[in-house]
Amino acid sequence: MSIDRSIAPQPGPPRPYHFPHVERRTLANGLRVLVAENHNAPLVSMRVLVRAGADHDTKELAGLASLTADLLDEGAGDRDAIQLAEAIGLLGAALGTGADWDASYISLDVLSRNVEPAIAICADVTRRPLFPADGLERARTERLMELIQQRDEASSIAAKRFSKLIYGEGAYGNTIGGNTETVERIAADDVVAYYRAHYRPNNVSIVIGGDIEASRAIALIESAFGDWEPAEDRERPVVTPREHAESRIYLIDRPTAVQSEIRIGHIGVPRATEDYFALSVMNALLGGVFNSRINLNLRERHGYTYGARSSFVFRRQPGPFVVSAPVRNEVTRESVTEVLSELRRIRTGDVEMGELEDTKNYMIGVFPATVQSSSDVAGRLLDMELYGLPVEYFDRYRENIAAIGKEEVERVAKKYIDPDRVIIVIVGNAAQVREPLATLGLPVHELDIEGRPIA
Amino acid sequence: MKKRRHATGLLQPSAVILHPLCYIRRAMLNLHDYRLGNGLRVVLNEDHSAPLVAINIWYHVGSKNEPRGRTGFAHLFEHMLFSGSEHVGNNEHFRYVQSVGGVLNGTTFFDRTNYYETMPSNYLALALWLESDRMGFFVPALTQEKLDIQREVVKEERRQRYDNVPYGTAFERLLNLAYDEDYSYNWPTIGSMEDLGNASLDDVRDFFTTWYRPDNATLTLVGDFNPDEAKQLIEQYFGDIKPGGSFPPFTLERRPLGGERRETFASPVQLPRVYRLYHLPKMGTPEWIHADLLTTLLAGDKASRLEKALVMEKQIATDVAAYVLPTEATGMLMLQATAQEGVDIAEVEATIDAELARIASGGISSDELTRAMNRAEIEYAHQLENYDTRADLIGMMSTYFNDPKRIDHWLDAYRAATIDDLANIARKFLVPDNRVTSLFVPEAA
Repeated sequence: MSIDRSIAPQPGPPRPYHFPHVERRTLANGLRVLVAENHNAPLVSMRVLVRAGADHDTKELAGLASLTADLLDEGAGDRDAIQLAEAIGLLGAALGTGADWDASYISLDVLSRNVEPAIAICADVTRRPLFPADGLERARTERLMELIQQRDEASSIAAKRFSKLIYGEGAYGNTIGGNTETVERIAADDVVAYYRAHYRPNNVSIVIGGDIEASRAIALIESAFGDWEPAEDRERPVVTPREHAESRIYLIDRPTAVQSEIRIGHIGVPRATEDYFALSVMNALLGGVFNSRINLNLRERHGYTYGARSSFVFRRQPGPFVVSAPVRNEVTRESVTEVLSELRRIRTGDVEMGELEDTKNYMIGVFPATVQSSSDVAGRLLDMELYGLPVEYFDRYRENIAAIGKEEVERVAKKYIDPDRVIIVIVGNAAQVREPLATLGLPVHELDIEGRPIA
Repeated sequence: MKKRRHATGLLQPSAVILHPLCYIRRAMLNLHDYRLGNGLRVVLNEDHSAPLVAINIWYHVGSKNEPRGRTGFAHLFEHMLFSGSEHVGNNEHFRYVQSVGGVLNGTTFFDRTNYYETMPSNYLALALWLESDRMGFFVPALTQEKLDIQREVVKEERRQRYDNVPYGTAFERLLNLAYDEDYSYNWPTIGSMEDLGNASLDDVRDFFTTWYRPDNATLTLVGDFNPDEAKQLIEQYFGDIKPGGSFPPFTLERRPLGGERRETFASPVQLPRVYRLYHLPKMGTPEWIHADLLTTLLAGDKASRLEKALVMEKQIATDVAAYVLPTEATGMLMLQATAQEGVDIAEVEATIDAELARIASGGISSDELTRAMNRAEIEYAHQLENYDTRADLIGMMSTYFNDPKRIDHWLDAYRAATIDDLANIARKFLVPDNRVTSLFVPEAA
């Protein structure tokens, strides 16, 4: 049985794919419920989405949203923190809480046979947190220790400095976890005030993916959350990006560094942009996947890095556009030059049909593999609720990608990437990279790891 | 998070399978397990719930097979296997897979190297063509330039994941302490910069010829395919690849530690952290499985023993982790805890030892055991949920235990575990003479 190995085999006919059917319901108190069944495994994934996150944190109380979320499972209903963990463990469940920029979350993954008692515990954590004083002090100390440890993490330093430089003082300008001063300042009253303002049913969606009938899931949520009293709506703070007239380099010295952590970019666009699909295709081609221009250039052509990538970070309000790469000290300047040249090149209209088709086919083909598990499905439902996407959105995702043409890609590259007004953050060995960077012809500012200028 | 990644990989997001357990709904996976004439083991698991197919190959070779002076080579080799073969150009492997919507990666660990892709199911033949071309026709495509580039990429991987991050070399230091140089778990899969620099094209050819052959591999397919068609395609693409000759002799014998080995290492970190490695019997033995359950009881949530004692009650540590490693030659239990600022790391160690002593004397409740079993069960259900992780689990069962169908019975030993079984692990293995300890402490300012 001999075959001709010199020719790649042709595919068979494509098999049909549909995103699971999504059942939606809004309870009388305004709480929204979305369910998508997925019976591949005896698991249920549930996510409680509270539509307020670190975007509501003030500069003085940065870290409040995430600390509030951390405290939800420090005691709730009639159980203390350890009793909660014990009860969850006995059900074969995992419960987590947290906050990001736009929202706070309670997540529950549970063996489907125990879904009912697990939802009851999840309702306690969401609706009846105790916020005990010793829990706050413990969580505060833990957070302060995390912040201390981040001082030695180059990627963390780079991310924080980049974010602060492009967002300045407004929403998204803090860090989600706050800083030492603000975390020490947060009082129990602040936590309770944040919770009361935002954790209310008309500001909450509950999404469920997995091994449960939609009607039963909705009934369980109705029974555990239906009598939660609504409250008045709040306005959301607005992002105020900084304007930069020219590109600038910010260098943060880490004398022990054997690599430079590079971040290059500027402010991007909100998730709800009408150019979402065109931007996603353009970014995938530029630096979003392994075979993208930036990674092939820095990794496979030059061997500068283990991996380089670009991303438009999509949030409710404009998230950053950022290229990131850890590279060895000796090639820091060369890496910056290569990235900038790729940012310029994508705007010149040289996108080839072959790379465009490859990129689109990747995004279309890979989609079903990204929504196999119950938690994957729940994650997509979260996106729908957080960004206001229509119910058929993910079922039509692939055809929307397919419709993007070369002109669209080039148009959004020109519109949303500006290589002449980028912030370049480099966390690395200043003694080794300072002089080479100075030859790039861009102003270089040196900062300490907290962002204070060094004379 | 309980799990830690110690394997090296081609790409950053590489998962290592640590915790196989039971599966509830499908009591049996209905695997079809057979061999080709050249010795390639094939395992098929048909499942049409998504229009995808996972293709996964485990080669039974890892960093423990590296020759002296070539640490890191098995992993560097894994990178080379993505750089093209006789009928597939440089970087074309990636392009073929990604341009149709496939995802792919490879990882290397002490005992094995795996290569895998998840494809839209109508591209099964393409994946088999690619995998068979690099199994059978890799050497003609080798060039010095490709080796030089991948060598640099791997060095960057080492810098990024080991040398440029706080505590990044902890695992390496523990292995150095735990094993003598003649025992090839003595170094991590990433290897040393010096040895990476010395790797030559001849090394690549020799390694390929010795280890990359059908009679040293398991090919697993999970997903949306017709088994008869798949078998025919596999025969077409892999059937004519020649098996290798005899394998080089390989024995490992671990000498006893002769008492605890301990070091204190000053480095750029802010908080002191204790790392311990306890020797265990190898993966799959009853003791290893009991130790796996015990680590779940020790760390992972607020009610777990060490987290409760160190983080919740005494509040002397910020985090704690415990886990066993999926290793074939001998087993390891890893334990770590970070001291809070201003706390003496000795107090953290003393508290850990006091908890281990309580466990050794039988102080485990039946609720604790139930919770540990539940956690193992849910983690296992998650692993079987997706085709790619399920295929990887099958490859592991085949490679380490010569029995892919062990996946159907793996849970039995977990379910049969008793409180005394777990106490016995603490008594017998979690003792000072059986461990090595590395204390990471901040450098003097």
